[in-house]
Amino acid sequence: MAPLLEVKNLHYYYGNIHSVKGIDLYVDEGEIVTLIGANGAGKTTTLQTISGLTSPRGVRGEILFKGKPIQRLRGNRVVGLGLMQVLEGRHIFAKLSVEENLLTGAYLRKDAAGIREDLGEVYALFPRLLERRAQLGGTLSGGEQQMLAIGRALINKPRMMLLDEPSLGLAPLIIKEIFIAIKKINSEGTTVLFVEQNSKIALATASRGYVLQTGEVVMHNTCENLLNNEDVKKAYLGM
Amino acid sequence: MTRKKTLLMAALAAAALIVIYLFLVNHAPIKLRRLALTGVMLGCIYGLIALGYSLIYKASGLMSFVQGDIMTIGAFLGLTFFTFFRGLFGTGEEGESNVGTFILSVLLTTAFAFLFGILLEKGTIRKLLNKNVMAIYVVLATIAISYIIQNGAQIIWGGIPLPVPSVFTVLFVQVIGVRIQPEMVLCVILSAGCMIMLHFFMTRTRMGTSLRAAAMDAKAAEACGIDVSLSTGLTWGMAAGLAAIAGILVGPIYGVYTMLGANIGRKGFSAAVIGGYGNMYGAMLGGIILGLAETFVAGYASSTLKNLIAYILLIAFLFIKPTGIFNERAIQDV
Ligand SMILES: Nc1ncnc2c1ncn2[C@@H]1O[C@H](COP(=O)(O)OP(=O)(O)OP(=O)(O)O)[C@@H](O)[C@H]1O
Ligand SMILES: [Mg+2]
Repeated sequence: MAPLLEVKNLHYYYGNIHSVKGIDLYVDEGEIVTLIGANGAGKTTTLQTISGLTSPRGVRGEILFKGKPIQRLRGNRVVGLGLMQVLEGRHIFAKLSVEENLLTGAYLRKDAAGIREDLGEVYALFPRLLERRAQLGGTLSGGEQQMLAIGRALINKPRMMLLDEPSLGLAPLIIKEIFIAIKKINSEGTTVLFVEQNSKIALATASRGYVLQTGEVVMHNTCENLLNNEDVKKAYLGM
Repeated sequence: MTRKKTLLMAALAAAALIVIYLFLVNHAPIKLRRLALTGVMLGCIYGLIALGYSLIYKASGLMSFVQGDIMTIGAFLGLTFFTFFRGLFGTGEEGESNVGTFILSVLLTTAFAFLFGILLEKGTIRKLLNKNVMAIYVVLATIAISYIIQNGAQIIWGGIPLPVPSVFTVLFVQVIGVRIQPEMVLCVILSAGCMIMLHFFMTRTRMGTSLRAAAMDAKAAEACGIDVSLSTGLTWGMAAGLAAIAGILVGPIYGVYTMLGANIGRKGFSAAVIGGYGNMYGAMLGGIILGLAETFVAGYASSTLKNLIAYILLIAFLFIKPTGIFNERAIQDV
């Protein structure tokens, strides 16, 4: 069976800065896959290019989602196909309430009753958002904002969710909570591809991993094998 | 804003209005009452213009100097429609009521201006931004477009002010013991109606919330499935619509001439700054404050000073309270 997401020889250019240099990757339906690498390796660029959030002029190569090429689509169209991204840095709508933020994630859905139901599910997953539903997004703590960002993507019932550094700037306890939620989302049927600086938790959460270095995939294996790889241990796990 | 806070503010505003009303009716001399009424009317117009500035600023981070000229176009277009429909539906007799025709003209003019606003954004602003032109040059481009419209209007409609036929059969109505033109009352009611509708549209509908979301964070909005390019266009359309409404509403009061919008539009900037540039509610309140300040200065000091007060207030606010009444972010992060 063809993978749900397939990226073939993907390049990205910011003007004449060549940031992503021919990446190949795939994610099968139901999988949870991670993309790790140092600062500036091109992780964010790769994810945002998949989601149509970078300028289409800079893209070369092919991105297939559900077998359809999407590399020419704008970001809002990609969302319509069932591919949602939780952005690096969370990007909460600061002056919208928590609930308005969540409902904005369901912007393309037309079934009011279904949206209500899924809003309830997001609140069940993150009870802290329910307590703060009327509060403005900008006033939440970092961890709560990350929950809100994930909830905002989840409410659209995506077939696949991309997450960019969900642990960014969070305390260890909150990181744990966030990753439990991500695993739960995956176990309930959403395919997940996530980017992480925190390689330890990334490799413990995912089943497969890609290691990115200056815009290229330098390693690809099961997380088990990556965890035992000497180079990975030295460079990314600090061992 | 949370619902509780909104309700509280609405209650406070209503209480303040009642107190002011009682004071004016029972204690104020007739001149003060007249000035207050004129000030509120003019303030509504400034408010509509300033609302447009705020919407555009929030959606695109830009300021558009075309706003005032769209008001002029609105005034001329409104007059044209109004005259046309009066000929079509009316008997042309003196003292005939034209309220229906006028409302129809307002709606049509607004629709045209809305399209014009979208075209302005899609056809020029967006094109320039896509070429990675810096914001300051885009603002300069709006100044150029503004002059083109002013001179174009001059060529089409000539330099002399055109009178607008009256909308109502009566020439005067009594409000708090002052005789004023009924068109002034209509102006206040329709402007207030627009502002209230805009408030509910922006805060209570999915569409409005998505427009605000797109203005707050374009990338996040796109990642939610919102067509940000369309949202920005619609926002410019709404700004243009509000300006045109301002134009057609003042027509019967001041007459229609090519510099009408330019004069009021420039002062509208001041209203936006007073309220907090980019804040919808600030724009309305700033408009009313400016309208009242101008009329009172004209009434109690001099009419030369009247035309300066907007700019004096603008500079004063920039120095003393750049965030305006509603505390919009005005200082750059360092
Ligand atoms: N808007 C931009 N314009 C020019 N170059 C950019 C831009 N954004 C990113 N880059 C460059 O592209 C490369 C990859 O950046 P990217 O943000 O994708 O890395 P990353 O792996 O996500 O890093 P981090 O872990 O710090 O988030 C970097 O060298 C960066 O400097
Ligand atoms: Mg990154």
